[in-house]
Amino acid sequence: MFSLKIAQGTLELGLMYAIMVLGVYLTFRVLNYADLTVEGSFTMGAATAAVLIINGTNPWLATLIAFFAGTIAGVFTGIFHTKFKITALLSGILTMTALYSINLRIMGKANISLLKTRTIFTDFQSLPFINADYAILLLSFITVFILGLLVYLFLNTEIGLALRATGDNELMIRSQGVNTDIMKILGLALSNGLVAFSGSYVAQKQLFADASMGIGMIVAGLASVIIGEVLIGTSSIGRAVIAVICGGIIYRFIIAIVLQLGLEATDLKLLTAIIVLIALVSPSIKSKVTALNPSGKVREE
Amino acid sequence: MLKVDNLTKVFNKNTINEKKALDQVSLHLSPGDFVTIIGSNGAGKSSLMNAVAGVFIPDSGEVVIDGINITNWAPHKRAGLISRVFQDPMSGTAASMTIEENLIMALKRGKKRSLRWALNKSKREYFCSELEKLGLGLENRLTTKVKLLSGGQRQALTLLMATLEEPKLLLLDEHTAALDPKTADKVIELTCRVAESSQLTTMMITHNLEQALSCGNRTIMMHEGRIILDIKGTERSNMTISRLLEMFNKASGVQMNNDRMMLAGTL
Repeated sequence: MFSLKIAQGTLELGLMYAIMVLGVYLTFRVLNYADLTVEGSFTMGAATAAVLIINGTNPWLATLIAFFAGTIAGVFTGIFHTKFKITALLSGILTMTALYSINLRIMGKANISLLKTRTIFTDFQSLPFINADYAILLLSFITVFILGLLVYLFLNTEIGLALRATGDNELMIRSQGVNTDIMKILGLALSNGLVAFSGSYVAQKQLFADASMGIGMIVAGLASVIIGEVLIGTSSIGRAVIAVICGGIIYRFIIAIVLQLGLEATDLKLLTAIIVLIALVSPSIKSKVTALNPSGKVREE
Repeated sequence: MLKVDNLTKVFNKNTINEKKALDQVSLHLSPGDFVTIIGSNGAGKSSLMNAVAGVFIPDSGEVVIDGINITNWAPHKRAGLISRVFQDPMSGTAASMTIEENLIMALKRGKKRSLRWALNKSKREYFCSELEKLGLGLENRLTTKVKLLSGGQRQALTLLMATLEEPKLLLLDEHTAALDPKTADKVIELTCRVAESSQLTTMMITHNLEQALSCGNRTIMMHEGRIILDIKGTERSNMTISRLLEMFNKASGVQMNNDRMMLAGTL
């Protein structure tokens, strides 16, 4: 059965992955850019934080450094795309592939255990007035709340508007004096920073970092964005930000439930791909159905 | 104000498709000049405007605005000096963003953008009063997404965005060509009013000869990358559409065979 314990664990992971989904939202929706760098930068965040922590760095600092490691990965993808005119998909694939080797170099081996080490969660647990059972949940929630708020605020600043316009109509915003290359690099950097940050949280919760933990991350991110948008809507930026965070959490619950139902963990990627496929195809099917039957009612024989 | 000197641009150089888009074009505009540009397809009108806007770098010649040589500047760098309205009503606005968000981006044209919250009450009030002048009822729809507006409304909004923060030079590239006649008239009327009231230096490409003569204070005609006619003052006020057509034939030495121009002439 789906116990309370499993539900709590799922919610914790969902909140952490929601940070990654925020990053995917920035590129996929705001910049209109399908960025595969995510696969590598998620692992990079986990690897960077893990290596720093086992070598004695303060875990909070290690988590922050993981964020910046991710932004650097994003900057590379951005430069490949804007300065070298490589297509969006291929730029992401190049960085993602390069990051696989780089992540192994960072870790020195395929996985690192964080068992019995100090993490941000053990630190947080030892704070006064914090119930140890809910420490991970609380810290994850606070983090997602703050990051979601920051993303919302940023998207309403002058630079944030320019970033959104870059994804909407490049010609227009360029003629308003915005260097769209810089905007894309900025968006990719922030996005991958968030993704790496998410990776560092997940590593500290699961107590290990693994070279392959980012595989399938982009499709999971896209599925989460789409699920959130369908269920909650995108009428305003605030709503969209809440939607994608909830999407990330709901996605984790869907995964947990199907695992409980007895599906193999290795089947999950297939399931995720199917979710994204359905979500991407349904608008066009819906419009076809409406076109055939404009009244919206079922025609009677 | 604007000095275009000996501008030359050849596309597809040394290939079978070689095309001389601009051939030693020179044009000087004084502050407040409103020049309308006519000519058949491929005459070099848009190339001239693109060179001024920085879409491409010319092979030779220079573009100078207010004493600043901007020939090699990237388009986004010129935005502080030049604003532009395109033919396609979709290209001047960001569809997924609201009217007020589009306006605030235009208010920042060519200026440094910061991490300040973009909108506030006083700016909204300012936008309302500016939108009211358009007479389209948009002042009540500040938070409407632009994709819900009609082509004419979008083009009027683009025009407002182009002039909200006064540019040194306003470029209008057949900005009414994609609109229905009634809306086009309205946008043209708006254009003339805005340009006149703020004494904007303006270049407007049009295929409508009547528009070309009724708007602004100067008209140039282009053909094969050169300016073949440049009229202003009494010479222009005495000009009729049929004489303009005649002059075109004479100056270019070929029979006009552009449908749109013929049609515009007979209307």
